[in-house]
Amino acid sequence: MSLLSVKDLTVRFGGITALDQVSLELNRGEILGLIGPNGAGKTTLFNCISGVLQPDQGRIRYQGKSLRWLKPHQRAQRGIARTFQNLQLWGTMTVLDNVKVPIDALGKRSLVVDALGLPFATYAEKAANERARAILHVLGLLDHEDRLAGDLPVGIQRRVELARALAMRPQLLLLDEPAAGLDAAETEGLADLLTRIRERFKVSMLLVDHDMSLVMRACDYIYVLDFGKLLAAGRPEAIREDPKVIAAYLGEASAELPGAPEEEAVVVAKTAAQPTTPVFRLPDRPLLEVSGLAAGYGHLEVVRDVNLRISTGEVVACIGANGAGKTTTLRALSGVIRPRGGRVIFEGADITHDRPEAIVRLGLVHIPQGRGLFPKLSVEETLRLASYSGADGENLEPAFQLFPKLRDRRRQVVGTLSGGEQQMVAMARAILARPKLVLLDEMSQGLAPAIVQELFRLLDEFRNRGVAVLLVEQFVDSALAVADRAYVFEQGTVVHEASAKELRRDKGLIASSYLGSAPEPPAAAAHAGGNGHNGHTPLPAELMEDLMLKLPASMLRSLQEKSAREGRPAQALVLELLEERRS
Amino acid sequence: MNRVIRAAGFLLLALAITVPARLDLELQFDAALAVIYGLAILSLVLLTGYVGQISLCQATFMGISAFGTGMLVNTFHLNYFVAAAAGVLMSFLVGIVVGIPALRLRGILLAVVTLGVALVFDKYFFLDSAYGWFTGGSFGWHVSGTHVGSIKVDSLHVMPAYYVLLGIFVLVALAMLRLHDSGSGRRFRAIRDSELAAATMGVDLTRYKLVAFGLSAAIAGLGGALYPLVVGSVSAQPFSFLYSLQFAAFAVLMGIRYVPAAAIGGFFMGFMPVILVRLSHSLHHDIKYDWFQVVLGALLVAQLILLPDGVWGDVRQKLDHLQVKAPRRKVETA
Repeated sequence: MSLLSVKDLTVRFGGITALDQVSLELNRGEILGLIGPNGAGKTTLFNCISGVLQPDQGRIRYQGKSLRWLKPHQRAQRGIARTFQNLQLWGTMTVLDNVKVPIDALGKRSLVVDALGLPFATYAEKAANERARAILHVLGLLDHEDRLAGDLPVGIQRRVELARALAMRPQLLLLDEPAAGLDAAETEGLADLLTRIRERFKVSMLLVDHDMSLVMRACDYIYVLDFGKLLAAGRPEAIREDPKVIAAYLGEASAELPGAPEEEAVVVAKTAAQPTTPVFRLPDRPLLEVSGLAAGYGHLEVVRDVNLRISTGEVVACIGANGAGKTTTLRALSGVIRPRGGRVIFEGADITHDRPEAIVRLGLVHIPQGRGLFPKLSVEETLRLASYSGADGENLEPAFQLFPKLRDRRRQVVGTLSGGEQQMVAMARAILARPKLVLLDEMSQGLAPAIVQELFRLLDEFRNRGVAVLLVEQFVDSALAVADRAYVFEQGTVVHEASAKELRRDKGLIASSYLGSAPEPPAAAAHAGGNGHNGHTPLPAELMEDLMLKLPASMLRSLQEKSAREGRPAQALVLELLEERRS
Repeated sequence: MNRVIRAAGFLLLALAITVPARLDLELQFDAALAVIYGLAILSLVLLTGYVGQISLCQATFMGISAFGTGMLVNTFHLNYFVAAAAGVLMSFLVGIVVGIPALRLRGILLAVVTLGVALVFDKYFFLDSAYGWFTGGSFGWHVSGTHVGSIKVDSLHVMPAYYVLLGIFVLVALAMLRLHDSGSGRRFRAIRDSELAAATMGVDLTRYKLVAFGLSAAIAGLGGALYPLVVGSVSAQPFSFLYSLQFAAFAVLMGIRYVPAAAIGGFFMGFMPVILVRLSHSLHHDIKYDWFQVVLGALLVAQLILLPDGVWGDVRQKLDHLQVKAPRRKVETA
């Protein structure tokens, strides 16, 4: 009956149970949300459905048939398409070519015909071009069709992945964190885009994302995973209030829920962050002074005329849309890329053209986006490496004091840690280098909100130790709650500078920040609570099946909920409703 | 821009057709060898450049079709070109078998496995007397030559074989250029860029990887099959793994993703030894071929730093940039 039905799925990696008896149902036309903290098994489930991974137990049925013996490409050809959390576009191919691959895969085209350039190949090529362009048009990507996919900014790459998946003519679209790396405005656009895509391409979707505002807004129904187990399932409004979910997903201590009204959130974060005041601030002489900085890649100038001032022990946030030049600025400051103009003065010394390793020794440490760790080294080895940047390699105590969790995991290989723990390792390594200024790029990327809150609290510790922090952050509100000041970036330069307090009062910014407003409840089908008409002659099974297929997804879901509540088959309920209509 | 490259291609082809006929026999022989090496490099452009699969046993594929052809001509007295076609088929089949490990392995592991294949053939199969029926024993096969119509082709009359080889090279190169932008070519390149995405977007990895290995082996085998005709005999030495390594080195140096790189690479591999020898004669100074290898190594290091996309790849990119800039200037002046 349902498009996708997963039953008792279990996957083990060595001793770890990644998925434990997980079951879910996805109805035709539905956008189903799948949420859960990092390491809950969401991507594992995706891999099982798309056939990249074989489950140890359980079964997956798609359109009523088992997927067990189908290889990934066969599943794709039957209409299961997906996107990837860590983008998997074909980077050396143009956007148009990327979209054409799945289109070709649906047709029968032979190598010989292609190599000889026979008329049929030319014709098929034309048809593929047209269809690909049509899809690109719907997603607003036509301007980029001749660009190499690898050269595009992340936000656009995500859309290209979506276009490529749609080119597969999918019935089921698996979306793995489509909002990762997008800014608030883009995320908001994404929710609308997904609903539009559902109408236009008649696809059902399974959506994994950390961005609750997206999940709440776009999904009809939500499943929550925690440590590989199904924790809860329900409509967005119900999930939002489910105490189990709040505890697991957002952390016990944090009463705040992304998606709750913003006032509350600010208050909570504030009490956590505000009481400390910088102790070591020196008057008048900034730690870092940047004037007229320009930098870029190749023949592209990404930032120009950037002016910044940071004092000792100050936490400063850089905010702005994707591609505004925040990351590039950090990279130019730490010497990873060469500034093309302007001056960078750190503690009175001109470091504009110094090499990165020399800059680190001066006490300016950069934690890059993606954390810059070595996945095969253990925690301890990684921390000892900090000695190369001027730390005492033997004494790891300061790091463990700040991050007690890491003490227990000191022998564990970094690659096997969760995302949050990896970020802690990166921060611990930075603190060992006895920095005066830490550049922190997208600390919270891909992390569950509970962990993000914990990391933000740690930034306060940094401040207490007299370490200044310059951070680039997607979670604008949380960042502003910790920060003293912020610079707003737009199109490669700083357009606004203000205290964090001021910016938080700025409604326009708040509105587009991570903590979006609560979504309107999706239109639920209203039902009359019948008193149980029994003893009807049942309709033929095929007719019933047909009826179920033609019901809108939201109505079907209501029926299923009702049938679960009352312990009666959904078919009986349908009959009841039909009877009521007639009488 | 494309027009410039095309014109240059035609010019070079015209030179390749007319010039060797005026050269002495030794240089004609080297010209034929250059095309054979060019085919071997072309086979790597397909396998590594398009599909991203590493192979260090292309010389082995050449050897199989060379020995196969020699065996069929000598033992079964087949017409040379029929035997050559059968030899290419043998390479194709062996290529598919060698491709099986590639279904599981990639990168350095695949390189080691194919190197292992090369060593097994090189040090054992091509040399062991147990396989004398295939390799012709310790003396290899002697091929006395054949006739194309009334024209005699053997190691003393190399030009006809050279023209056949050149024709084959041009046809294969054109087919590969066409393939690059076709549906199959896109699927190949998708496998190169991300196997995971390719599989989940409907590309049958098993089929396309095996086909790529088979085709690549067959292209290398095309050169190998005509090798006995040019040289007059087949022995194991020219198919040693060292040649496989050289093919890989030249392919990377010249730009492994591009078809023209095979022509450039083949030219250098074919003519460099004789040029060095003649230079040393005229300079009365001993220049060893080994020096060339040293220079090749140094060039590779320099290239990986300065021209990461290979000589041809980066030259082409520079030309593209010129083209992009040119029309803009026009707009400004208008």
